[in-house]
Amino acid sequence: MKYGRQVKKNLTCLSNFADPGALHIEGFPTEVFRRQFVIENTEPFNDDPLQKAVHDLEVAETHLANAQAEEATAEHDVAEAIKEVKDAERAHDTVTVHVIHVNEVEKASFTERLTATLQQVWEKSYIELKIPPKAKDVFQTADKNPKSLMSFLSLTLEQAHQQKVIEDYCFGIASETGGA
Amino acid sequence: MAKANELPTLDVQAGAAALDEDIPRVLRVLGASSIEELGWSRPNKLKLFVPMCGVCQGEKEEYTLRLGFQAYRRWPPSAQFVNPVTLDYAYPQDQHFVPKLTSPECRTHIAYPRNPQGSTIQLICCSATLEFYDVLHGVEPHHIWRETDTFFSTIMAIQKAFVSFYEGRF
Repeated sequence: MKYGRQVKKNLTCLSNFADPGALHIEGFPTEVFRRQFVIENTEPFNDDPLQKAVHDLEVAETHLANAQAEEATAEHDVAEAIKEVKDAERAHDTVTVHVIHVNEVEKASFTERLTATLQQVWEKSYIELKIPPKAKDVFQTADKNPKSLMSFLSLTLEQAHQQKVIEDYCFGIASETGGA
Repeated sequence: MAKANELPTLDVQAGAAALDEDIPRVLRVLGASSIEELGWSRPNKLKLFVPMCGVCQGEKEEYTLRLGFQAYRRWPPSAQFVNPVTLDYAYPQDQHFVPKLTSPECRTHIAYPRNPQGSTIQLICCSATLEFYDVLHGVEPHHIWRETDTFFSTIMAIQKAFVSFYEGRF
């Protein structure tokens, strides 16, 4: 591109060829017109090989600029598509977990991977609830009929759901009680 | 904090105030706007009635749990199953309004000896009920009721027993 402009400075043929004012078309910038129309539709410079070469170079540069613009657009589109795919994968691989602390009546929600085990979810729940764990706490479901999950802590969220150990991703932490 | 081998002391004003304070917290956690929405009722400052149900051999049976807050929150709420009509419990005629719960964490007794004189009470044997301490039941230190605990843990402990340890009516 720079080479073409440098050569062009030393030539007057193009500027003499057409008066920019005379070429003005409503809504169409004169310079663009010159580049797109005048350059490409000018009769070859049969009697001056250098001028012809410069002309060809200008045309090629125009094509290159267009191609580069298209490439940039395509790259942007590809980046957007990749982002969409990743977002979709993330949404597919994660779930929103809801947890309540039964004794202290606190609740929290957070995003967790389906590959996380119930043990990991339990441990993260304390962090999200900002309540320290107690030795005899029990991790359980949080529906109307709470069920202990202490025998299933090694299952992932996905496995627990598939095996119908849990119906949703709502959990509770409750301190064990004594009785009997 | 509750203590083992110590009889609960009553403080009805503190109990009513603590219940006033805790109900909104429980509603928030459950995503409900009122206790009526949950099917609960509060006939006075110190009582809360909570419907419960259990399924035994395919039969769904309903119960009414009465919670009392006369010693709350230093001690857990009183908890007994009652006749849904009288909203009270009289042994032996109301014993069939009590579910058989046999969980290691929560077991029901229709007439548990309260003192050497021979009086008995219905006991939901669970460290989250007032009666458990009232009968001076033995308790592990880590099971003792803490003042940060709420009546919601009492309800949940009993509900959990219904899920896996319910054996029908007495």
